Amino acid sequence: MVRIKERYLLVNILYPSEIGVKPGVPDVVVINQPTTDKLTPQALLRGIRAEVGDTFGDFGSGALEGGGLQVKYLSNATSTFILRITRAQYRMLWTALTFMDHVPVRDGKPCTFRVVHVSGTIRKVEEAAIRHARNLMFAVKDQAGEKDKAALEAMFGQAKRTRQAAVVMPTPLNVEDDSGDEDMVDISDD
Amino acid sequence: MLYDLNIAWSPSTTQSELTQTLKFSASLGYNAVALNHLIENVPPQPKNPLPRFPSQTSQSQPTKASIGDNNNKSRNVEQKQDQAKDDPSLPTVLHRATVCMSDPAGVQRIPQLASLYDIVAVRPTTEKEFSHACQEVRIEVASLISLDLTQRFPFHFRPKPCMAAVSRGLRFEVCYGQTLRSGASADPRTRATWIGNLMELVRATRGRGIVISSEARRVTELRGPADVVNLLAVWGLPADRGMEGLGVNARGVVVNEGINRRGYRGVVDIVQVAARDDEEGDKMEGVETTGEAQKGKAAAAGGSGKKRKGGANEGRGSGIGNAPPADGTMSKRQAKKLKKLAMEESGTTTPEENKS
Repeated sequence: MVRIKERYLLVNILYPSEIGVKPGVPDVVVINQPTTDKLTPQALLRGIRAEVGDTFGDFGSGALEGGGLQVKYLSNATSTFILRITRAQYRMLWTALTFMDHVPVRDGKPCTFRVVHVSGTIRKVEEAAIRHARNLMFAVKDQAGEKDKAALEAMFGQAKRTRQAAVVMPTPLNVEDDSGDEDMVDISDD
Repeated sequence: MLYDLNIAWSPSTTQSELTQTLKFSASLGYNAVALNHLIENVPPQPKNPLPRFPSQTSQSQPTKASIGDNNNKSRNVEQKQDQAKDDPSLPTVLHRATVCMSDPAGVQRIPQLASLYDIVAVRPTTEKEFSHACQEVRIEVASLISLDLTQRFPFHFRPKPCMAAVSRGLRFEVCYGQTLRSGASADPRTRATWIGNLMELVRATRGRGIVISSEARRVTELRGPADVVNLLAVWGLPADRGMEGLGVNARGVVVNEGINRRGYRGVVDIVQVAARDDEEGDKMEGVETTGEAQKGKAAAAGGSGKKRKGGANEGRGSGIGNAPPADGTMSKRQAKKLKKLAMEESGTTTPEENKS
């Protein structure tokens, strides 16, 4: 049996142009802020198709049609999505993502698409997403912690705000569910 | 280590924009960036107007181009990187000047610029300038040939001058930010020209000796390292060469320029001066261990001490640590060599040294 080889791209939407606009919020949180709810899988696909058509012309659009482009997962809260495409065309898709410079909705904010992980199976890409989100959480905690130290206890208000900002960043997929399950198992064992 | 040797800077760039770009660049994973000042006409008394960042505070800005100040300034990139670790949100910031070669007086004034900036690059536009840059500009003068790929070159990149430049140690710079600058003001053919030029350059050099940088004027023109490598892979630069262009080649440029400013004639460099106490300790050790070899004692101690200091840096080719050791301390390799010689001299009979 011959199977169709595919590539799964894990992509993050980053918002670098707002660094330093809001004082008191860690940069990691600003860069990885949530995306507008107007971004649906359909809108995303439309944006990508337009960009591929722009860069590669009819050849690119046709290759993408034949490549079975699909949005497997889209989380606006974490600005993360997973795309699926046949292996032959994935570099073309990736290039289009690199060239995109705003969220593909009406009056979309300027942003950058960063491909975090490329893999052949969706399982691995899911693992990568979880790992990436976890690292992000640690980074946010680190930055918030630094600020806490600097601000001392007199500035409780600000410290709390950064904490809240950190909590706004939920992990994609089911990281928290996983850990919750483990806890439950532990308790039942006891 | 990832390098981005070109963050465009002009007098109109504001500090907040620049901080934004630098912070984003650090969060994308770049460890060191260079602020680039494109100089069309070099003034007779050049100055360095680039802003300085907290990670650079301890190094003095040389106003007079004296040798001592030079040494202080570009003390060591690694040292700067240590300082940068204090503030992880900013990468190591270097200063770079790019001189347009259309101004012949400017090229002659590069040595003055070299004392003010960490890196100096040249930007040729015509064929004459290009071949001059490839074949005659010495590596001590400029180690980077920056090409504006968005303009149409009235000539082809031929392999011979390009490879001559690469084998002399010069590197070609390719700036991907120029293609991402597709605003309303940009020429619609810009991207096509850029791609065409890039493919020709890659064909001429076969992907060797290329440094990839962003030339980002705004923060939205920065992309992650993997994205950049993929982008160039689509246009014909193999992915491994692309990674080299972000890492090894760029580091080579930085280190080369550093050693040109710091070291003696760009060859000999003082990496670390041994502490006095340590050296005495070494001597004492030497006396204890090589008690039998009385003759070469002092020389051996000196030799071994030197070797230990130079050992970490042999890869750089400073050549200090490669001196043959005195007869007291014989390396295993040398012992083997001598043994082999003895074997050859005495034919098939096994000499006594066989035991040792």
